[in-house]
Formats: sequence, structure tokens, C-alpha cells
Amino acid sequence: MKSTYIIIAAVVVIIIVIGGVFAYMSLSSTSTPSPTPTATATATPIHSPTSSPTSSPTSHPTSSPTVTPTPTPVPTPTPTISPATLNGAGGTLVAPLMSVWQPAYQQVTPQITVNYNPVGSGAGITQFTQQVVDFGESDAPMTAAQYSALPSGTTALTIPISASAVVPAYNLKLVNGSACQNGLNFTGTVLANIFLGTITTWNDPAIQALQSPSVAAQLPATAITTVHRSDGSGTMFAFVDFLGKSSSTWLSTVGASSTSPSWPSAPAQIAAPKNAGVAGAISTKDGAIGPLEIAYILENTGQTSVFYGTVQNSAGTYVLANVTNIQAALDAGASVGLPAGNASWTGTSIIDNIYGNTTATTVYPIVTMTYALVYQTQNSITQGAAIVNFMSWIVNSGQNLGTGLGYVPLPANIVAVDNATLKLVTYNGTAILH
Amino acid sequence: MRFRLPRGDTILKIVLVAAAVFIIAIVVGLAIELYLGSAQSIRTFGFSFLAGTKWLPTQNVLSALPFIYGTLLTSAIAIVIGFPISLGVAVFISEKLKSHQNFGYALGTVVDLLAAVPSVIYGLWGVFVLIPILRDYVEVPLHKSLGFIPLFSGNPFGYDFFTAGVILAIMIIPTMSAVTRDVLSVVPNSQREAMYSLGATDWEVTQKSVLPYARSGIFGAFVLGLGRAFGETMAVTMVIGNIPNITTNLFSAGATLSSLIANEFGESSGVYQSAVIEIGLILFFVALLVNFLARFLLWRMTRGTRVKN
Repeated sequence: MKSTYIIIAAVVVIIIVIGGVFAYMSLSSTSTPSPTPTATATATPIHSPTSSPTSSPTSHPTSSPTVTPTPTPVPTPTPTISPATLNGAGGTLVAPLMSVWQPAYQQVTPQITVNYNPVGSGAGITQFTQQVVDFGESDAPMTAAQYSALPSGTTALTIPISASAVVPAYNLKLVNGSACQNGLNFTGTVLANIFLGTITTWNDPAIQALQSPSVAAQLPATAITTVHRSDGSGTMFAFVDFLGKSSSTWLSTVGASSTSPSWPSAPAQIAAPKNAGVAGAISTKDGAIGPLEIAYILENTGQTSVFYGTVQNSAGTYVLANVTNIQAALDAGASVGLPAGNASWTGTSIIDNIYGNTTATTVYPIVTMTYALVYQTQNSITQGAAIVNFMSWIVNSGQNLGTGLGYVPLPANIVAVDNATLKLVTYNGTAILH
Repeated sequence: MRFRLPRGDTILKIVLVAAAVFIIAIVVGLAIELYLGSAQSIRTFGFSFLAGTKWLPTQNVLSALPFIYGTLLTSAIAIVIGFPISLGVAVFISEKLKSHQNFGYALGTVVDLLAAVPSVIYGLWGVFVLIPILRDYVEVPLHKSLGFIPLFSGNPFGYDFFTAGVILAIMIIPTMSAVTRDVLSVVPNSQREAMYSLGATDWEVTQKSVLPYARSGIFGAFVLGLGRAFGETMAVTMVIGNIPNITTNLFSAGATLSSLIANEFGESSGVYQSAVIEIGLILFFVALLVNFLARFLLWRMTRGTRVKN
């Protein structure tokens, strides 16, 4: 009899502990916990479920949102900015750049700490929608479904913060025994057929037709092994987007692009996680080809295991990707017109914008931007001012910090679009930036 | 007259029972969370999720069968390669090295070191070292000589079920051999002495009296290793090729349940994310099922043959 009492007591203790944990969690979620341990003594809830600008009874806006009037075209954020911690989550493409921006920004604005969690674009958008982070980040613009999942009454601002390009990388031993260097020519259609599995050997006439006769003669009969990313990625999104525009067969087989595309089954294909995995797979297999981020090539100058080829743009020029022609692509793509910051960016694509442009001879065709997501109506002046300050800094002053890592600085017209978007961020009805 | 336990003992009993119930609560809670997360996908796909063969997230055609197959196949290869080796190592250390205890400890420590290596490092080593070696010195010769067998019929790339199975084998050897070693060392010497006195050789002693006595423990090690093989993620993701595929060809790229979750969870959303969680639920149940099957077989084997000492 005694032992049953003990068992009952133990079960009751367990239920109490678990119940207490659940109760604590459900209670604190309805009172909007502040996920950022701000340096101010008040625990300011950053986003209440109702987006009406009611601040908690304990918050005291310590900095006025007015700005010192300066005649510069760059909107100057408030000079006296309160200490804050910003949390962001999003794609992995920009993660190395974020880790450069964080300490550099800390030096300029020591009272603001920025934390970035590269969980992936999908998870980043989810956390942004749930309002558990200050800003989200995504390698692909939000889809219509993701826009409709946002809390009602809120508007998300899309801010391109960096850009990347995808190159076709390969490892090929030529007929004469030497390794094929940079510069093999490709077109979108040929690449699509390679990844669809209809072109299976390197000496296929379709590939040979694109090369100069001396190079074409050197292409061996080696079987093509295609390599792509197994995990979700903004670079795959861009590559599949480009293939979809170049080949209607690809579009009908694979469908629309996404960060996790449905790759068709080719006879010899491998998927590896992360850029390093793709590069590793290409470098260990003769005859392998795969889409690689330009950052990998630019970062690892002098490596001799992986080479990359040119891609033909719509003007007919074969372009070997470098910082200049990627920026030219961004410039040309943005000139076609980008949506307003608070509008829907679904389907916006630099690749789509420059595809079919037969006069832009210097652009590299496979270029993609990566986007920060910020709520237009901020519920806390400290967080709102901090977010706007940070975004303004990375867009205007932080762009050149990434060149060593292979990130291309945004051209002036995209920076102008971002600055205009940042002016839309409001708190209590007034813009934080003027 | 009722015997009342001292208060300290009562408290201890409560705490211990609470700990046990807590573990059960965690497992049940995990299952509930997995079920809740995958509810949307179960509603959308139903049972076709378990039967289909395609995984195309952008076209909402999602099915788990290629991944279940990949998990089972790689774990099977890992067990086939790893179990004999770990059993051999354990028997060697506990039986043959009885007179060289220090060497036995040293060898055991070295084997245990294998367990300390992180999964990602195994993956990196696999990509840059193991794959070229296996591809050029094992898979290509096997394909050339035994290519008519369906197992070896594919063109070897290195990133395939076989390499993943080999890496998994290396990863589960330390676990299995450690447990087996412990189990073999507690076999009472009376068993061995009895066999020796009947004129048995070393191998006969081991085979006929030590191993059968430790059968349930060895089976436990087997199940432990199998469980680890099911769940191993990073090392498998980096070498298996990540192409959903159902084929008897060991040299073809494949995908496992855990590699899929590692690759695609971060970028997924909506029904797609729910489907990935359902994959996790399936992994959970596959592991549970195999565990129960193993224990049921063990029960069948040892029923009525318990050696009382």
C-alpha cells in the first residue's frame, strides 16, 4: 500500500512540474516577452500582437525620432540612439557577411548589438512572421503565401542588402591530360539540358558548338556528373530561376524556382550540403559540373581543383563572372524597376529583369539579391530606431566590407531604393528617418 | 505490523520513480510534438506519403519511401560491416588479452576514441579521404568484376549508399564494442572453466559458452548500434549524394530520413515543413519498430534458456 502512495506522489510531482512549465510558457507568450535583453532598465515588448502603436506602460522613449538636418542625400539616422539588441534570423548566403558587419557596426555604434542566426530563409521568414526577431532575412523574396501569413494589419518591408552570383563550376581533364581552366563557354539552354540529363558527355556537340574549335577538340568523352546543393539555398534559387527562363523544357519539368527546387533526376547526379560540399564533390570527380556561389571562387583564389565557365547573357556575350559584370547586372536589373519597399516583392528577380535585354553586353546573367525583412510599423522606438540605423548603415556604409569574401556591393540605384524604403519605417505614425 | 521506510529512503524512492516517469514523459511529449507538427502533412497526403517515390517540394509531391529505404539500407550495410568487427574486437579484448590487461585497456581506449570524433568530422574525412579511396580501390574493382550482381551494377561515383554504410559502420563500432566488451567481461569464469575442463579449445569456449551466455547483452549492443545508425545525420548527409532513390544498386546515390531533415528543414515552410516533420515522425517510429522487433527476437531466442547462476 505504501508503494502505491509513493508512485502517486511521484506522478503528481511530475504533473506539477510539467504543468508549471507549460503554464509559465503560455503565460509569458500572451504577455509578449521581450526577446532582447535591452540595456535599458525597462523590458520593452517589441511587437505586441496588435500592431497598434501602444507601448507597454513601462517603456519610456528616451530618444526623439527627429533627426539633425543635414543636406546629404543619405538619410541620417538619429544621432542619439538608445542602447538596443537586435536579433535577426534568415538565410545562410549572407551569414559570412553578417559576421563581418556585426563587429564593424559595433565599432560605429557601440550601444547596439546585432545577433544573426542563419537558420535558413524559410525559418527566418517564419520567425519574422511570428515576431520573435527584429528582422528577417531571406535569399528569395517572400511568396504570396508568406505575405498572407503575416499578422493582419502589418506590412513587411523588403530591403535588398547584398547580392551574389552563381557560376557553373567544373572539374574536367581534357584530352591532352591537362585540367580545363576557367572560361569554358555555356549557355542557359545547354546548362538546362545538362542538368535535365539530356546532355550526358562532355564532348556532346551542343557543348562543343559553344567553344572555339581548339577547345572543342579537347573536350573528352567523359560522362558528366551533375552536382547541386542538397540543402536549401539562395544560389540554387537563382540558378534554377535562370535555367527556367532559358529552357521551356526545364520550366515544365521542374516548375517554378524555390530555395529548395525539385531537381530532375539525371543519370549521374549528386547533391551535397553547403557550398563546401558542392565544391568538394566537384573537385573529387573528373567530369563533374555544378552551380557554385561566386563567393567561393573569389575567396579561394589560386585553388586548382575547381574552375568555372562563362555564361552567355541575352546580348550574346559570354561573360566570366567578376565583381564588375555582376554589379552591371544589378544595375541593369534595378533600372527596369524594383517594387516599392512596402509592396509585394513576390517574383522579383534580377535574372528575370535582365533576361531578354539584348543591349546589355556586359552583364552577368545569373545574379541574385538577398533581402532583409522589416516591419513597416515599429512598436518600440528603441528597437525601431536601432533597426533603421543598422539597415541604413549596412546598405550605405557596409557594402564594401564584403568584397574580400566575394560579396558584390550593391549599385547606387539599389541603395537609393533601400534608402527610400527605410524612410517608410514608422513609429507612432511618424517616420523614424526623415 | 506495517514496516515504515525511513524518510530518506522514501524521498529517494519518489525521486527515482519521478526520474523514470520523467523519461517516459519526454518520449511521449516528443511523439506528441512530432504528431502535432506533421498533422498538416498527414491531412494533405495521407497514406500516399508512405508509398510514393517522389520528393518534389515545389510541386507538392512528397513521399517518404525513398528515405525509409535509404535509412534501412545504410543501417543494414553498417550492421553487416560493423557488427562482426565490433564483436571481434570485443572478443579479442576480453578473451585473448586476459593475460595482457594493459594492452586490452589501451586497445579499448583507442576504439572508444572513435566515438569521440564528431559526426561532421567523419563527414569531412569521408568526402576528402574515404570517397576517393573507396571509389577507386573498392567500388570500381567490385563493379568491374561483380557488376552482374544487382548490388554492384551501378557506375560508382563514391557518393552512394555503400560509402554511407561504411562510415556508419565506423561510427557504430565503438558503441557496440564497448557494450559487448563489458558484457563479455562479466561472464563468470565458472562458465569458461567448465568448458575447459571438458576439453574445449579457446574458440570453442568462446563460441559455445561465453557468447551464448552474453547473448542478451550482445543483442543489446546490436540494438544500440542500430539505433545510432538510424539517427546519424551529418556524416551520412555529406557522403550519400542526397538523391532520393530506391534501388538495389549499392553504388547509387541515395538519401536517408535524417539527411533529408538536415538538408531541407531550414528552408521549408507550410505544408512542406509539416512534411519534413512527418519524416521525423516516421524515423521515430521506424526506430521504435526495429527496436521492438529486435527485443522480440531476443525474447524468442532466450526463452527457456536462461542460465541460472
